[in-house]
Amino acid sequence: MEGIATDRPEHPVFYAGRFSEQVTDAGLPGDQTVLSDWDVLPSQLSSALERASVLVVLDMLSFPFESLTGDLQDVPLILLLPAGFDANFLMTVFGKAALSKLSFFDRIAAADDVWTEVRQIYGFTEGQRLDIDDDRLGRAAAEIWAALEAESALHAPLGEGAYEADRYWTARGDALAGGAPHRAICSVNHSSRFNKAIHRVQAKALGPQFAAARGTQADEIPFDVLEVGAGIGRWAASFDLAKTRFTGVDISEGMVEAARQNFSQCRFDLLGEEPVLPYGDESFDLSFSVTVMHHNPTPTKWALISEMWRVTRPGGRLMFLEDFVSGGWSATSTVYPMSVNEFVELLVEATAGQVVLEHVESIRYRHDDFTRGGLLSVSKLGVAKTW
Amino acid sequence: MSENDFYRPEDLDRLRMENELLAFEVRFLKARSGGPPDVAGSPVSLSRMTHLEEAETDLKLLLRRINNSPLGPVARTNKNFKTLNNRYLKRSEDAMSMAPAQRVAYLEGAERDLVLLLGRLGRWPLGVAFRRRKSFRTLQERYL
Repeated sequence: MEGIATDRPEHPVFYAGRFSEQVTDAGLPGDQTVLSDWDVLPSQLSSALERASVLVVLDMLSFPFESLTGDLQDVPLILLLPAGFDANFLMTVFGKAALSKLSFFDRIAAADDVWTEVRQIYGFTEGQRLDIDDDRLGRAAAEIWAALEAESALHAPLGEGAYEADRYWTARGDALAGGAPHRAICSVNHSSRFNKAIHRVQAKALGPQFAAARGTQADEIPFDVLEVGAGIGRWAASFDLAKTRFTGVDISEGMVEAARQNFSQCRFDLLGEEPVLPYGDESFDLSFSVTVMHHNPTPTKWALISEMWRVTRPGGRLMFLEDFVSGGWSATSTVYPMSVNEFVELLVEATAGQVVLEHVESIRYRHDDFTRGGLLSVSKLGVAKTW
Repeated sequence: MSENDFYRPEDLDRLRMENELLAFEVRFLKARSGGPPDVAGSPVSLSRMTHLEEAETDLKLLLRRINNSPLGPVARTNKNFKTLNNRYLKRSEDAMSMAPAQRVAYLEGAERDLVLLLGRLGRWPLGVAFRRRKSFRTLQERYL
């Protein structure tokens, strides 16, 4: 193993296991760590992954997946499925230990036929696949390294001058959704490890509330869900899509296109210039947004909340996972600060008070020294217009 | 932040918003669990109660600051100031055991008293010593 200095910036870590010589000989040009099968004692692995931006597992058969616990689960994984085995074998060997634990920020490099089967079973998205032309380990490592470099180098033309939500998010989504989708949906200036850590915290808060929103509704009745600001559709993966009709709406055409590729069984629509949702009244059982409202000025927030309330059925839920804590506003900031009390007042006003507070949860991200996020869930009051 | 460092927020707005968020969550949890009488069954909205409780806390802090400042002895000769001291510093424990309606009235009274106190200090000739302080100006911006 190459020397590990704790003050090194985040860098990719390649686990080459029994084939470390092949990977070392490939002469990867960047600042990365290559681990062999001698480097997998828990303390060694933990130390090696401390500053890892991503962990590329090239030799899955010798990698101890059970060692990835605690903060190490924030490290995004890229798994190179071993060549020469069929999908059934791979799922039997790696299903429980690795494949079933992958999240939206983890990716897989696999041959076409294996990918198709594995994707279907585990619900992976097209954006989670890394195309590899040559499955020899040295060449594959070089291809993965080049793909990671290309993603981080992709420039988003975010424009000059003061922040305007519509222009900014359209430009950012269109530029990044195809080539660097994970940067498009979270913090564009942070690593995918940072973004995966945030995603995991949000998922932990949202999961139980999604389940609570479905409640005791019978499985035979489809659960209609709307996400406002759906991006590339990452939260669709949180639902059982066999029992859910998931609809997403976004302002960026690039995002909508990527979301459609990721979840072909779901519906994704482009939101026009006006914040008017293109759906009829009382069409959804759950309408939610994740870190969308705080990027918009108050009039847009008001309009979106009002629209979300309109398209939600009485008894259905509206959920907002937002930042309710931030510093002062500046011309270059992409956040319009609004405290939870101010947001609740806006929510009551935009819905004419026809909501009941169901859940409140503060959310603290691991890299922050203060509590920033909050999840609010309300149910819509009223009697359905149609039965 | 290293483990040996204390949490020292520098942005007052950020601290206020964080307090609001955490207080809002606590109030929701208490209300949901049918908790103590200060919240259960209150007709006042959660966000309004949180705001009122913050006003009470700000008032107590302001009174303590005035008492501990060089102007404290002068201020304590004022009958109104002594009344505020009695009501919010000496007998504040009583407020925790009040019935919901009484507690709301008490907190609304605290908010009114805070607004009056800030207004008087702003006009008071010796109040210049307070107006120089950023935290005092922040209170004025928030409540006046």
